Amino acid sequence: MAMVQPKSLKYRKLATHVVLCLFLCLIIFPLLMVITISFRTGNFAVGELIPSNPTLDHWRLALGITVVNPDGSLTPPPFPVLTWLWNSIKVAGISALLIVALSTTSAYAFARMRFRGKATILNGMLIFQMFPSVLALVAIYALFNKIGEYIPWLGLNTHGGLIFAYLGGIALHVWTIKGYFETIDPALEESAAIDGATPWQAFRLVLLPLSVPILAVVFILAFIGVITEVPMASVLMQDVDKLTLAVGAQQYLYPQNYLWGDFAAAAVLSGFPITLVFLMAQRWLVGGLTAGGVKG
Amino acid sequence: MADVILKNVRKNYDPAIHQDTLRDINLDIQDGEFVVFVGPSGCGKSTLLRMIAGLEDITSGELNIGGNFMNDVPPVERNVGMVFQSYALYPHMDLRENMSFGLKLKKVEKSIIEKRVNNASDILGLDPLLDRKPKELSGGQRQRVAIGRCIVQQPGVFLFDEPLSNLDAALRVKMRIEIAKLHKELQSTIIYVTHDQVEAMTLADKIVVLSPLDPNAATNLEQYGSPLDLYHNPANKFVAGFIGSPKMNFIEGEIVEVGEQESKIKLVTGDIVSAAVDTSRASVGDAVEFGCRPEHLVEDTHAHAENFITGTVVVAEHLGAESYVYMDVKGFDFTFKARSEFPTNNGDELRVGLPTKASYLFDSNGIAFPRTAKYNKD
Repeated sequence: MAMVQPKSLKYRKLATHVVLCLFLCLIIFPLLMVITISFRTGNFAVGELIPSNPTLDHWRLALGITVVNPDGSLTPPPFPVLTWLWNSIKVAGISALLIVALSTTSAYAFARMRFRGKATILNGMLIFQMFPSVLALVAIYALFNKIGEYIPWLGLNTHGGLIFAYLGGIALHVWTIKGYFETIDPALEESAAIDGATPWQAFRLVLLPLSVPILAVVFILAFIGVITEVPMASVLMQDVDKLTLAVGAQQYLYPQNYLWGDFAAAAVLSGFPITLVFLMAQRWLVGGLTAGGVKG
Repeated sequence: MADVILKNVRKNYDPAIHQDTLRDINLDIQDGEFVVFVGPSGCGKSTLLRMIAGLEDITSGELNIGGNFMNDVPPVERNVGMVFQSYALYPHMDLRENMSFGLKLKKVEKSIIEKRVNNASDILGLDPLLDRKPKELSGGQRQRVAIGRCIVQQPGVFLFDEPLSNLDAALRVKMRIEIAKLHKELQSTIIYVTHDQVEAMTLADKIVVLSPLDPNAATNLEQYGSPLDLYHNPANKFVAGFIGSPKMNFIEGEIVEVGEQESKIKLVTGDIVSAAVDTSRASVGDAVEFGCRPEHLVEDTHAHAENFITGTVVVAEHLGAESYVYMDVKGFDFTFKARSEFPTNNGDELRVGLPTKASYLFDSNGIAFPRTAKYNKD
């Protein structure tokens, strides 16, 4: 854009950069603090920013390695943090995949098909999603308790049940994907229909390949949502071995003893899978997939 | 190869409100004919095409393609191919894949697919582009791919939905000629939708003129005939106004003398003009509308200047090869296609000649009186 700009632009640019930098600091600072705390000796929330005696003890405990104290006594890792991490990844990964599968198919129906009560259902989903799921915790608990009597692997204290519970929260994803589908010219699928594609083939061979970016976005959002979710997981999961990291990490913080250092190490650990998934999904987040198909 | 027959076809998108889009459409499209659906926007021409393609259901009536009843047959089994206004190419596939997509779905043998794709790209001059994606092509090339995707399917009927409306003027003319050539080569039935009557006139063997449906009208199929037939003998005022560019001039009047060969009409201007139309079904004093095409008006000194009309020049356009003079005649717009560099000034009074043989006459319902002569300027 070689547009002619007024001279004051230089100062405005400078000001923008300063503001943006301040904003970045605001975001990054808490993260850096958590990392600092995870390397600081002792379990205190406050203290120096750059630890004077950095220690790996918190990380050792988080990774399940027994720590030898200076006086020779041993501190065994109090919680199975790596198991929690694995639980989180497993539950989040499977949930996110199923959420993507469910929400794309229902979004397709909402975007392309004509049926009675479409608008009502769409709006209804959005409104129900507006109530925090915490409000329904008691109902969810009772429901899964009952389900567990008939289908044990979907009941309380199972990962199956937890995943199943997370599948209830797809309304926003349906809306997101539906919005994307509606930007794709229906003539593409009509053309496929004339070419001899069944609706399923038109969906899978034409619409889905063009929707990869939005599917990646929904996968990431769903994955992050599940990894960081606490209320539902804390009610449905009971055994220490089955907790997710977000729930489990809170075990470090009980009123008599706040183990901030160990907590910080676990917290940093929980950030890894999200970062990893984001990096992997990034290459799918590209624009211009539909370019050239139809007259823009 | 297939013929297309429509019987009493009706389309209603929402039966709850009794507002038909199309009503009582009867067409008999012969095998190998190039038929153009033309009409202003909202007349249902694209809907009719989509009904033939199977993308819209038929509310009532009958559709036959190649002798088979097709109302409830899915698009793919109708033996039709369609080119969309927006091209609708698959953006994630290269041209070869775009064209072979349908054949692959039908599990056609690989060698046959290759042969057909190569053949189509030969016809359309797409050979050097086969490995490109649609986004790397120009508008005209994309349009050609869309046509190629149809050709490889070897359908009995090609359906074109305003295929040229997205191209610029020069390319449109070029593609128009290519489509005409293609029709000659393929010899297959083509149904083509456009709102551009020049495209309709130049391409069609037969034209179907549709109008936006009036709730009380029996049908919105205004006329079905060859281009010149529509030009010379429009069935009604709608067709007369729609076919021809610039638009036909209309002015109100009443019959003062009924005749089988020639009639006399008193225009609202007070001028009495003679028209070569058969008004034997009307009577003296009936309100009528008199019509005359801009290209048929002549200067008042011309040999065929048998009747005259006077108006005020509003604006004159000098195009080089010809001039268009827009006049105001007692509140009616009149266009006069004059010779090159016709001398005139805005605000001038101008008297133009109306040849008797070039006149059209419509009754108060807009139905044309039969014309009794064909006008020849020389």
